[in-house]
Amino acid sequence: MKKARVLSVISAFALLASSAMVSCGKKDEGSSGSGKKTVIKLMTFTKEVKQMCEKYFETHPDFAAKYELKVTEIPTTDGQFQPALDQALKGGGEDAPDFYCAEAAFVLKYTKGTASEFAAPYEDLGIDVENKIKEADIAPYSVEIGRNPEGKVVGLGYQATGGAFIYRRSVAKEAFGTDDPAEVEKQIGAGTNSWDQFFKCAEDLKKKKIAIISGDGDLWHAVENSSDKGWIDENNALYIDPKREEFLDLSKKLKDNGYHNDTQDWQEGWIADMKGEGDKPVLGYFGPAWLINYSLKDNCGGSKIGEGTYGDWGVCQPPIGFFWGGTWVIANKASKNKDAVGKIIEWITLDTSEQGLQYMWANGTFDPSNPTKDVVASNVVMSKSDGKVDILNGQDMFPVYQEANKFAKGDNLTQFDEGINSLWRDQVRQYTGGAKSRDAAIKDFKQAVGDTFDVKVD
Amino acid sequence: MAAVSKSGSKSIAFKVTAYTFCALLTVLSLLPFIIMIVNSTRSTPQIQENALSFIPRGHLMKNYAVFAGRDFQPLVGFKNSLIISCGSTLCNIYFSTMTAFALVAYDWKLRKPFFTVIMAVLMIPAQVTAIGFYHFIHGIGWLNSFLPLILPSIAAPTTVFFMRQYMIPSLPMEILQSARIDGAGEFRIFNQIVLPMMKPAMATQAIFSFVASWNQLFLPQVLLTVNEKKTMPMMVSLLNGDSYKTEMGAVYLGLFLTVIPLLVVYFLLSKHIIAGVALGGVKG
Amino acid sequence: MKTKLKGISYSKYGYLFSIPFVVAFLIFTLYPTIYTATLGFTDCKGLMSDDYHFLKNDIWQNFKAVIENESFKTSLKNTIMIWVMNFIPQITIALLLTAWFTSHSNEIKGKGFFKVVFYMPNIITAATVAVLFKAIFSYPKGPMNDLLISCGILNDDYFFLNSRTAARLIVAFIQFWTWYGNTMIVLVSGVLGISPDIYEAAEIDGANGVQTFFRITIPNLKTVLLYTLITSLVGGLNMYDIPKVFLNGGPDSATLTTSVFIYNQAFAGSYIYNRAAAASMIMWLVIVICSAVLFYVMRDKDEIKLNKQIKKAKKEARLAAKGGVNEWRL
Repeated sequence: MKKARVLSVISAFALLASSAMVSCGKKDEGSSGSGKKTVIKLMTFTKEVKQMCEKYFETHPDFAAKYELKVTEIPTTDGQFQPALDQALKGGGEDAPDFYCAEAAFVLKYTKGTASEFAAPYEDLGIDVENKIKEADIAPYSVEIGRNPEGKVVGLGYQATGGAFIYRRSVAKEAFGTDDPAEVEKQIGAGTNSWDQFFKCAEDLKKKKIAIISGDGDLWHAVENSSDKGWIDENNALYIDPKREEFLDLSKKLKDNGYHNDTQDWQEGWIADMKGEGDKPVLGYFGPAWLINYSLKDNCGGSKIGEGTYGDWGVCQPPIGFFWGGTWVIANKASKNKDAVGKIIEWITLDTSEQGLQYMWANGTFDPSNPTKDVVASNVVMSKSDGKVDILNGQDMFPVYQEANKFAKGDNLTQFDEGINSLWRDQVRQYTGGAKSRDAAIKDFKQAVGDTFDVKVD
Repeated sequence: MAAVSKSGSKSIAFKVTAYTFCALLTVLSLLPFIIMIVNSTRSTPQIQENALSFIPRGHLMKNYAVFAGRDFQPLVGFKNSLIISCGSTLCNIYFSTMTAFALVAYDWKLRKPFFTVIMAVLMIPAQVTAIGFYHFIHGIGWLNSFLPLILPSIAAPTTVFFMRQYMIPSLPMEILQSARIDGAGEFRIFNQIVLPMMKPAMATQAIFSFVASWNQLFLPQVLLTVNEKKTMPMMVSLLNGDSYKTEMGAVYLGLFLTVIPLLVVYFLLSKHIIAGVALGGVKG
Repeated sequence: MKTKLKGISYSKYGYLFSIPFVVAFLIFTLYPTIYTATLGFTDCKGLMSDDYHFLKNDIWQNFKAVIENESFKTSLKNTIMIWVMNFIPQITIALLLTAWFTSHSNEIKGKGFFKVVFYMPNIITAATVAVLFKAIFSYPKGPMNDLLISCGILNDDYFFLNSRTAARLIVAFIQFWTWYGNTMIVLVSGVLGISPDIYEAAEIDGANGVQTFFRITIPNLKTVLLYTLITSLVGGLNMYDIPKVFLNGGPDSATLTTSVFIYNQAFAGSYIYNRAAAASMIMWLVIVICSAVLFYVMRDKDEIKLNKQIKKAKKEARLAAKGGVNEWRL
């Protein structure tokens, strides 16, 4: 009896499995049989570029008749995206993507670093790239990052990711008596190129039981991308920029004085602060326009002015100029569909017309059901667009961000930033939490970098 | 321990201690799963308000809706894991029994050395070979294929060892002889006489092989990179991702979904599984 | 086992039927093992690693680099520490339960139920367990924080996952929690295998439960205990799923085990395959040495029993070593 039951369960599973195999076999036949569309493969880490490609297919029926899109989306969490992309590129063949995306924290690896030889120059995709860049007036840092060691452009983005200070209007009123960007700017020491005034302000806010930022991560992105040099110097050795080293002290100061809510970026507490549900009200976040569109908007607890913190936000200049994030689109040299990929990439990165992606992106017409306005790479498009959005209570964010974009530069990025940053942040947390001394934190950081990456440390 | 005695009052004291302790361990074993199941039916705000609750709420479907359009696809993971686990279990059981049969039923020169080799292989942990395995699989272009996760089970020393132990007392040579007199070939004898006799042992080993294959993470993580090939344990690690930070109910539900097949197998077959463990059929 | 019938030799079928095993073994185990060992002596690293050569200056360079590597030392220390923290309570509780469940004087009811419940965590995917515990210990606000605060043990939410000690303890606890049921069942079956005559004799001599347990049960359980110890050790030295998924070796490398180290060296970051291969071979050596030492220590000195015991122990222990293989290869 019992044995019979064991066997029946097992055979049931075997049956299920074989039927699953059969069904997936059938599916394969189906997809290859239906029309003879060429499949172009995209590998990305967010749904953004995927949606753009879908839009391209939608708006270009001729193209859609010939091609079919297949997307592999792997999040960057725990550094999962890079190994997967590397293996797909290296493995070649069927699983290799025709084009792929890279984020600021690791784009250099794919444009200038160890994986740059996979990248096809845009000119090989049939794009008249240098002239188009001039025509569209693309943010220079974005182009610099996208050049390969031979100086040819292999990657471009669609956003410009200069950073601003994004503050809660109601909290600013409570703190400073006004929510005018000009006044808030002055209070936090905008443009002073130092953190002194910012911390003075934090001290004042503390008395009013307001946290100036949510966690030390907010400050980190401003520090990281405003430093003079990146993590790795020209001799492939680890270099700790004084501004980045100073982050240890800044973070400690924030924590010891209780200037923030001690949250970790992208964790529950950090997100709760966007809704205003944290321990103390938080004055603001440092971030580019995408932070407003994709984080604040989704997590503010509302979708109309008055709901949650929707409409309770404003933007002003930060104490130190910085940029954060951004996505670059790169084509695979081994792709057999270079022309097709070239058309999509050109539409995403260089088309300044009203039918081009960037215009839609900047004016909130990309997805009518979810209109967001984002700062885009082309200044020509920017000059045709306005950035008034409801979540900022109608404030036009573009002037602030265009000013901020001037500080964006690509020369402090390195190919291992994603991994090195996470090791650094881990050690900073150990130091600020009191688990180890400042020197020990730096020593352990160097050790960890040397052990994980092929980088020299002293 | 001191309570283990024959005298009546001590016996009661012993029983109270023993049952209390066992009850505590029962809670310890079940509580995490109960939290998981209950929280999978609660909304994120409810969980944030009070993460420890035993009252299920009605947010199961809403939590499930969170997975729509995201990378966590329980059905895809389920299908992939099922194909790999069933494939490797079939290979494992069939060929291990065959190898055991070769060891038990025939007298051949290299039999003893062969058995020694099988025993020695048991000492090699898989991580030791993982780097070379990856390079080899990459070299023959089998990355993102299920075959390198299925075919190695043909050589499963533990199962061979177990099958051999089971076969020695339970396979009478006379039956083989009479089958041969009837004109049956050796391969047919194996398939039609030996396999049915080995059913109980095969069932036990099948369970363990299936579960071990279902749960493995290291090799799939190394070999499978495409989303649509990901196995269930790989899907689970996606729940760690940033995009689920604000969807705690969905995380619990996702976890629950990944263990349902195992829980079903376990509660149907728990007696056999426990008996199998007692026989030393699984690792410690 | 006479296998000859009417002059026909059947020995060729012995070879024939072992061909699949031998072929699969050569291709999927032996070749990758040799390949890995070879890579340890080359300069094979980086994304474009297809073209590599044997090291010219110092053939042991990778092995030296691994041994001197602080992170590797940390990972070895962590692995051993986590294993010890899990094994001591595991074997203690398993022995305690074994004593109770096999006690002749005090029959415990519901043994079957308890066995089923205690064993259950063992069958659940380790990755799932890791994410589940991460959720349970989440901060701020999580089931564990809520529980401890409502019991008055904690005043304020505690950030478990950012504490090195707490993270290590949780990993060790998960390991204990998944394995104590298994160990208990193995031990109980070991006790049931001891001849009842010995217990009867002890009872006639007036031994109490405690005496019986320590004087009879434990010594007779030696081989089973050895089996448990070695399987657990080999499994522990290969620990990967839980520390990897739980906190990816963090915080501050507190739960970095050797397997996570090897994975991160080879498949994340800079793809340092040669160093990872060297680390793999070192781990293999460590496992072999540990097993050998344990055999030696647990050896029975009684001359008459010696041979029998060793034979049995060897079988058991080899069976034990399957731990690692079982997990990855079945």
